[in-house]
Amino acid sequence: MLSYIFRRILQSILVLLVVGLVAFAMFTFIGDPIDNMLGQERTQDDIDRLRGELGLDQPFVVQYVKFILSALQGNFGVSYEQGRPVAQILAERAPATLELAAVSAVFALSLGVVLGVYTAIRRKGFVANLVLTLSLIGVSLPTFLIGILLIYLFSVQLDWLPSFGRGETVALGGWTTGFLTSSGLTALILPSITLGLYQMTLIMRLVRSEMMEVMRQDYIRFARARGLPERVITFRHALKNTMVPVITVTGLQLGSLIAFAIITETVFQWPGMGLLFINAIQFVDIPVMAAYLMLISVMFVGINLIVDLLYVAIDPRLRT
Amino acid sequence: MSVFHRFWDSDFAWDFRHSPVAVVSFLVALLLVLSALFAPLIATINPFEPGNLNLMNGFTAPGTQNAFTGESFILGTDDQGRDVYSTILYGMRISLFVGFAAVALGMLIGVTLGLVAGYFGGWTDAIIMRIADVQLTFPSILVAMLIFGVAKGFTPVEYRDQLAIWVLILSIGLSDWVQFARVVRGATLVEKQKEYVQAARLIGRGAMPILVRHILPNVLSPVLVIATISLALAIIAEATLSFLGVGAPSTQPSLGTLIRIGQNYLFSGEWWILFFPSATLLALALSVNLLGDWLRDALNPKLK
Amino acid sequence: MFKLTTCTAVALVLASAAVAEKFSWAGTTDPQTMDPHAVNSAPVLGFLNNVYEGLVRRGKDMAVEPALATSWEAIDGGAGWRFTLRQGVTFHDGAAFTADDVLFSYERGSSEVADVRSWFAPVSEVKVVDDYTIDFMTTAPNPLFPDSIANFMIMDRDWAEANNTARPDKEAGNFATLNANGTGAFTLADRQPGLTTTLTPFAGWWDTAEHNITEATFTPIENPATAVAALLSGDVDMINPVPIQDADRVDQRDGTKVIRGIEARVIMLGFGHDHKELKYTSDAGEPNPFQDARVREAVAKAVNVDAILQTIMRGSAESVSQLVSPAMRGYSGAKADRPSFDVEGAKALLAEAGYADGFSFGLKCPNNRYLNDEAVCQAVTSMLAQVGIDAELEAMPVQNYWPELREDNFDMYLLGWSPGTFDHEHPVRFLVSTPNEEKKLGSWNFGGFSNDKVDELLPAIQSEIDETKRQAMIDEVTGIYQSEHAYVPMYVQPLVWGTRDNVELTQRPDNFFLLRWVTVN
Repeated sequence: MLSYIFRRILQSILVLLVVGLVAFAMFTFIGDPIDNMLGQERTQDDIDRLRGELGLDQPFVVQYVKFILSALQGNFGVSYEQGRPVAQILAERAPATLELAAVSAVFALSLGVVLGVYTAIRRKGFVANLVLTLSLIGVSLPTFLIGILLIYLFSVQLDWLPSFGRGETVALGGWTTGFLTSSGLTALILPSITLGLYQMTLIMRLVRSEMMEVMRQDYIRFARARGLPERVITFRHALKNTMVPVITVTGLQLGSLIAFAIITETVFQWPGMGLLFINAIQFVDIPVMAAYLMLISVMFVGINLIVDLLYVAIDPRLRT
Repeated sequence: MSVFHRFWDSDFAWDFRHSPVAVVSFLVALLLVLSALFAPLIATINPFEPGNLNLMNGFTAPGTQNAFTGESFILGTDDQGRDVYSTILYGMRISLFVGFAAVALGMLIGVTLGLVAGYFGGWTDAIIMRIADVQLTFPSILVAMLIFGVAKGFTPVEYRDQLAIWVLILSIGLSDWVQFARVVRGATLVEKQKEYVQAARLIGRGAMPILVRHILPNVLSPVLVIATISLALAIIAEATLSFLGVGAPSTQPSLGTLIRIGQNYLFSGEWWILFFPSATLLALALSVNLLGDWLRDALNPKLK
Repeated sequence: MFKLTTCTAVALVLASAAVAEKFSWAGTTDPQTMDPHAVNSAPVLGFLNNVYEGLVRRGKDMAVEPALATSWEAIDGGAGWRFTLRQGVTFHDGAAFTADDVLFSYERGSSEVADVRSWFAPVSEVKVVDDYTIDFMTTAPNPLFPDSIANFMIMDRDWAEANNTARPDKEAGNFATLNANGTGAFTLADRQPGLTTTLTPFAGWWDTAEHNITEATFTPIENPATAVAALLSGDVDMINPVPIQDADRVDQRDGTKVIRGIEARVIMLGFGHDHKELKYTSDAGEPNPFQDARVREAVAKAVNVDAILQTIMRGSAESVSQLVSPAMRGYSGAKADRPSFDVEGAKALLAEAGYADGFSFGLKCPNNRYLNDEAVCQAVTSMLAQVGIDAELEAMPVQNYWPELREDNFDMYLLGWSPGTFDHEHPVRFLVSTPNEEKKLGSWNFGGFSNDKVDELLPAIQSEIDETKRQAMIDEVTGIYQSEHAYVPMYVQPLVWGTRDNVELTQRPDNFFLLRWVTVN
């Protein structure tokens, strides 16, 4: 067991190193930061000088090794665009993304479970089938379009909700939160629906099929035979047993919520890490891109590692 | 004839015939695929031929007459004076081609790696699954940009105009394989413990035949379900990449590119430029999703 | 009684007009730094013009007017310029403004690491005469020098030195990247890069304030549809730009209006003059038809600029015959005719040049740099197809576009040019003169157009003090690049800003948005 954990952690570190290497290999292809950094009246001399200063004239492997060495000392470099330490920028942006992801996850989980249970119980019902079909509409359109349509409807036409941004935020130590102001809370509604819609559908379908499977189990039949009320059977027995896979999947999805908030953040000008990343691509801000990718991979690899270790702890057969 | 009869009488076909949702979505999907296939026959012009376009036809509303040229168009025209109806038909070809090819690629890589990882285990498994981790880390937009950059360096200039489509296929396919690999790996892990596989191993059959003849057929049904849903996802992913600026070229737009262009006209009142391509994409993705849904239930005997 | 009510009403209106207001606005890009010498880009300079000031500034009509200098004159027969400085001006931190600060800002702005140092290329020496007089000596007579330093902003020496920011640092950033201490109408109250930047009025400003803002907040909103939604729903008071297609709707809607104008930026097509071969499509290889002036003229005739303006630009832009708009100094009124749209004429020219059957080539285009740039390129593609030449269009984001042009990867390309000095000499220097690294000439002349007469006339234009003689030389240069069809200038890009109905502001052709002219009613 110990050697398995050790091996697994070693592998995870390797994964991180490879992610970094691939990332740096890519950066040479996505554009040139120089033009963004120098103005209209730059000369070839300026271009060469700046390239030398930034180390862009070196092969990507050298750039990568430099990045890793300073990253190990907690230094992720300085943003080309903002001229500030990347770690500081990411720390500023993280609360926005994490709060958005958390609200989306809660939205997806709660509505997904409720609708999943409902559609499982009323399997042949008209409403249940309508819900199932409608939920598919949400995942049959690209996210950016859903976001723009929501803005059009709820901000421009009805004027109920803000069209962009986080509203007013309150600083608690190093963390800015939108949970404590009414404008902060209303600003969360549209983006979290946009971001959580896909996960909501996914969870709903998962709950539905797990429920339908559990309901066929013998112990549910016995419970029915014993004359327990249907409500007790549904919630106390069936739902409880479906929650393990549902929570596992939600946990895994939380990672992708954060990673793929990019589109939602762009549409809603949500000042999180995804928007930062998109800006960084447009500016070819290599230190920001590198740090963001490393952060996301740490998260993914970490979640995977925990899930795998948990599985092994539960099911010894998988240890081979 | 008899093959057809046998199929018609099978549980699978019976299930299909008795599910109105499945039948309707199948017909819608079929209609859309066929009209994309025969686009040159049913479209009024070829919108991918720049010489066919007249800029002065731009922004004609559906069914109205253009003030300058006097022409009219059933679904209107876009900013370039392209007939929206014809452009949707041609655009759908691109979207479907990208979708099918990307899923095929993702499936090929994913199933192969999943089988290998599940069957051999050990370091092979570890390496493949860690590659999957790396893959998951990279948003498909970055993958698309990387491949585009690399490909540009290696494609002869004559083929440059085809490049964007292949880049889309590669990047969507590459972000897609992980889920195939995970499912197949899981199924293989279970399958290889079964007696028939153990027996085949005992009598000295090689890994290849066991994988292809015995294990593969038994993991195919989840693969089919994922493939169907991936197709819808791939078509939508193509639209998203287009929004982020790495989609099909605007001279040969896909449905996604049309939507990206159309969303610029949401506030300005030229609703048809956005509405018709979106409705087509919705119909396509929804019918494929519903089919996938039905397929999942039909292939899962436990739910009968 | 009636009279009294009217009076009260008027008084109320007046009172509400005078009530100071908070103001918020949005643009596409965040100014990347608060350092006025680190980056020479329009978003930065435009924004910082609210905070910092130069010796001279541009008024509502773009004319140069006194700012921190009250007057200036050429000295020693053109050997330099003497600026008399304004007395009693203080920086935001209370320090007094003197000639030493100008000298310091010159040293800072002309240093190796400053992006704006090209402004000072003609300067040989700067001499402080007394606390309120300073001389800028130039290597040759330079009639345009005061005009060319309108964006040269003055920073306090003591503040900069105390905060270790005596030189700009674009790469790693320093104190001045995030903080500002100018003499301008607004002080920087809060700066959150990429998110919001807040300005508040400077009570000690030397000039009389025209605005009634108590606080102004800038937010970058990248997605155009989101920005329009923000304006329409009242979440911001002003956006720049309004997408052209949305202008009419925004204007007609209750509560919002559109302010239109013409920007200084000319959009043009460029060619690979020094390419012996075509680089793209199946016709790649020799010859490069665009080396023939007749083929370039055919392109000029084939492109129906009016159709582009009418549909894609929705009537907001104006066609142009040369590399600057009529509002710019040195515009050649004598050369105001542009080639008319003439499909038959274009075909005839192509046939004459030996390309009766047409050819195909690669057209490069940015897709996020100029207004509707990709749509314009697409339209050009279809217009060229109608005279038999097939452009294979490749549109890309601007971060990929400039490297592509620098590496000569094009047969034809789209370029926009906004003359930093608002003078015709500027595009001639950057786009028309033969590329020369040492003399810093032709640095954006990607196609390598070269004409000896132009190269000979440019230095003469630069140092000529007599307006008539100077204009005659500019006319001659214009005639040369027009008849050679070095570029195909198409139109001047429109400026479309959107505001709430109760906002009054001034739109300047350089697309700078100055808060000191904003009133919120």
